[in-house]
Amino acid sequence: MQLRDYIIRRLIILPFLVFGVSVVVFTLTRIGGSPIGVYLSHEMSAAEVQQLEERFHLNEPLYVQYFYWARGALQGDFGYSGVASAPVSQVFWPKLAATLELSVVSAAVAVMLGLWLGVFAGVRRNRWQDHVTRVVAVSGASLPLFWFGIVLLIIFWANLGWFPVGRSDADIWASMPHPTGLYMLDSILAGSWRGFVDAVWHLILPAITLGFGAVAIITRMMRSALVEELQQEYVDAARAKGLPERLVLNRHARRNALVPTVTVIGLTIAFLMQGAIAAEIIFRWPGLGRWMASAVVRGDQATIMTYVLFTSVLFLFANLVVDIIYAKLDPRVRLGD
Amino acid sequence: MTQIDTPAKPLDPLRHDTAFTVRLRRYREISGTILSNPTTVIGLFFIIALLCMAIFAPLLAPPNVPDPYQMPRDWGAVRSPPGTPGHPLGTTNQGGDVLYGVIWGSRTSLQLSLIVVSVTVVIGVCIGSLAGLVGGWLDEALMRVVDIFLSIPELIFALAVAAILGPSFTNIILSLCIVFWVKYARIMRAQIILIRQADYVQAARVIGDTRFNIFRRDILPNAITPIAVQATLDMGNIVLVGATLSFIGLSESGIAEWGVLVSEGQAGIASGRWWASTFPGLMIFIWALAFNLVGDGLRDALDPKTEDKR
Amino acid sequence: MNAMNTVTPAPRIAEVKGLKVHFQSKQGRVHAVDGVDFDIRDGEMLGLVGETGCGKSVTGRCFLDLVPQPPADIAGGRVLFRPRGGKACPDCSGKGCETCGGTGAETLDLLNIPAKKMRQIRGEKIAMIFQDPGKALNPTLTIGAQLSEVFLQHKSHELLEAAGVGEGDRGWVAGSLRRQANQREGSFDRWARRFPPLKGPSRRLQKALDEKVAAALAETQIPNPRRVMTSYPHELSGGMRQRVMIAQSLACDPDLIIADEPTTALDVTIQARILDLIKMLQAKRRTSVLYISHDLSLVRKVCDRVAVMYAGRIAEVGTVSQVFTDPRHPYTQGLLNAVPRAGTRRGHLASIPGTVPELVDPPPACRFVDRCPKAMAQCRGADPQLLPVTEGHDVACFLEHPREDTAPETPRLETA
Repeated sequence: MQLRDYIIRRLIILPFLVFGVSVVVFTLTRIGGSPIGVYLSHEMSAAEVQQLEERFHLNEPLYVQYFYWARGALQGDFGYSGVASAPVSQVFWPKLAATLELSVVSAAVAVMLGLWLGVFAGVRRNRWQDHVTRVVAVSGASLPLFWFGIVLLIIFWANLGWFPVGRSDADIWASMPHPTGLYMLDSILAGSWRGFVDAVWHLILPAITLGFGAVAIITRMMRSALVEELQQEYVDAARAKGLPERLVLNRHARRNALVPTVTVIGLTIAFLMQGAIAAEIIFRWPGLGRWMASAVVRGDQATIMTYVLFTSVLFLFANLVVDIIYAKLDPRVRLGD
Repeated sequence: MTQIDTPAKPLDPLRHDTAFTVRLRRYREISGTILSNPTTVIGLFFIIALLCMAIFAPLLAPPNVPDPYQMPRDWGAVRSPPGTPGHPLGTTNQGGDVLYGVIWGSRTSLQLSLIVVSVTVVIGVCIGSLAGLVGGWLDEALMRVVDIFLSIPELIFALAVAAILGPSFTNIILSLCIVFWVKYARIMRAQIILIRQADYVQAARVIGDTRFNIFRRDILPNAITPIAVQATLDMGNIVLVGATLSFIGLSESGIAEWGVLVSEGQAGIASGRWWASTFPGLMIFIWALAFNLVGDGLRDALDPKTEDKR
Repeated sequence: MNAMNTVTPAPRIAEVKGLKVHFQSKQGRVHAVDGVDFDIRDGEMLGLVGETGCGKSVTGRCFLDLVPQPPADIAGGRVLFRPRGGKACPDCSGKGCETCGGTGAETLDLLNIPAKKMRQIRGEKIAMIFQDPGKALNPTLTIGAQLSEVFLQHKSHELLEAAGVGEGDRGWVAGSLRRQANQREGSFDRWARRFPPLKGPSRRLQKALDEKVAAALAETQIPNPRRVMTSYPHELSGGMRQRVMIAQSLACDPDLIIADEPTTALDVTIQARILDLIKMLQAKRRTSVLYISHDLSLVRKVCDRVAVMYAGRIAEVGTVSQVFTDPRHPYTQGLLNAVPRAGTRRGHLASIPGTVPELVDPPPACRFVDRCPKAMAQCRGADPQLLPVTEGHDVACFLEHPREDTAPETPRLETA
């Protein structure tokens, strides 16, 4: 009951936050300059430029411009991407699929590995395994992701030649239909083992690059949370009941250590979205991040707007999910205070 | 009930648990804890080394004229590997000396992090205090702005702002200032609300201290500890984010900045020229690691609820 | 003089002999427990009183191997336990020998048994009531789930019987039920439980379990146990939580209960009721209780015998009447003087001057010497031994047992 009310309240607030974000970003883009830069060329006459300006309502005040933009966005028209030479809405989904495939795989591996490593180190507190894990975790959080990716490329691509760059082998990609845009899924649907291997092969290096930092963050949090839980009296009380160490750890300490860790896992969603930009540049991954990077350098406002809005909506939803899991794990949590 | 716990010394109401005694006692503990942690000491050592590098940059590498922050170009030794005479760490595709970039990059990073951290701390503390102390509709309004800022991931927000301002290193600094103050405002506000409830502040209020005095003497010094921790972590974090923005291409090319150098070196790795990216990137890593280690150590020392409690 | 002289004392269910627990700290080795001796007789309630930090909780935790090592280090001594209805001593087959202290009953050294054996004792033979039930109950599990654990751990065969699984039953259904009863079930078991043929017996098992839990809760006078079972600890009051804790410790009808300040964290009004409950249940079941407390008047009210602990040592042991009417150790005397009585005038509360000594590498001497009003030269240089003054009343003080220069040097373990 309590939880449902909270979800409803958050869902009501969400559009307002998205509205706020869009106002902030819209204002910033318009301060930065005219959105029609991508359409302009030197051959255009003054009359043609003015015609364009009118089409984009640039002669109107800012809030009217915002109104026109918002109306378009609600109808699914996010403007024209100069970088992709196509409407934003048209190129968005295939690029999202590429980014999704990359980040979901790294997130899944990072969460599992991070939780496992955190427990591994926390249980062996102050033994050498713990120290090694901690050093790796601390360095992982300070590692510049783009540099880590390049070092991996230098070793495994340039020198050893074990892994390729890009998302796929062009011939294999062309040999099958892509109904979902997720390469791994498409290759399974097409029954192509070669395609699946190709997809995984291309995914490994960028996924490691993207996931390493997240593993570090989750490991650190899980370890310190577990160490703290293991010192709680209820852990001793569980031992005093005669429970074997397996149950003391799994049912009591580990479960409760997950509570603070879940918050951090929610934050890693943001971390992954941010990291995807650099990782996609380095590995020439045709996703949202790489698109955003080119848009940023070339001042493609429609793309920037859409991307920022999309990330914030995703981030807000992720936080909502985190809150719900949080409440499920810890009955003491009263949400919304 | 008769209990045989040894009675504590009678409490001196003037000295017991005032902000001052609490602080004094904790500062002494903190300095001890910090120096007893080997990883923190390692971090401190790296920070001192990096600061020396930044301060003595003109001695370590003769500054380029007219602008020392611009990479010097040795067109006679383009793409030389490490160990080349005059270029111990090799050169970039445009003949920039990697060692020069590494050394002067520490100055660029120091500027970047110092400016951004001090500006954002000031903005954040002001806005957070305003929200926490005034309360009411102002608090409500400011916190909604904070909510909006927090619903966009930091790097992406900074990226969008920097893109709109146009590609230049100054604009990277500006965009990071716009984005990074939010955390401090939140910490400050939370601390004010938390500390306002504490006994000694209530006591000060009962005595009849003015609001401003309470803020200056009791609230500010205590709120400053979590802000100091965050600022230390951000000293490293901002260089990391700033370098990422440069790497993506939001700086002028050719400046002595680690992210720019990694980006320029990227083109050469297919042909086996690994050095131009590796060394500057390593510097970013060391910088961020050093500040993270010290920030963690500081947090453990300052937070009474650390894991070694018994 | 008292009843103890005429009635044969009950057999000793537990004996602590020369227990030493040291903690490694930055300043040195802290001798938290430094040579503690006492015994617990069958069916009695022994009070262990002392100030905060005198080592009484650590002593209690040694019974269940709940002292974390490191930082602690059990430097010596034995904690002997003779379970009720135990087998005959394997060394002498019941004739009485050194291992069993002449009792002929199976005797376990709790500091020195395999982990598996210790797990069987925990919760079933020896149970513990913790000081703060708010901390000792897991906040994320329901009361029912936490109590069930005890029954599943120690009474799984009874539950399996209720579900209709016999000793020799084979097959997947019996296996799955066995996993359920032994807390080894996987997610597949949990899923398959919703369908026949597993559904019926699994429900019967759960029902038997719930009944046991509800009965245990009802015994501690918890109203509406079925509802309490589904609630979380934070939804209950402090007194309720402690009742749950007591129900949990009594669940398997243990021989010995370690009650570590069970009423300290509670409101004064609730304390008396919880105390009455513990006393009532103890009397009903003849369970032995080690009642750890810093509250003299409480111990006087509920305990049969009392051991006074000071700075890691036992100062005085005896029946409640011996110790409270005829205290021999200056520390005990000081304590009793500090207890306000109806006649005590306002503002005239006596206290013991000085503070508890540092326990880092202490020199051989009476620990109380610096605060003792009757301190003598011989109090320094050697540790006083706990020796009887009258039948059943032991005191560790040179006033009662003057040091003889011919006496052999007190045996000391090298602990550097």
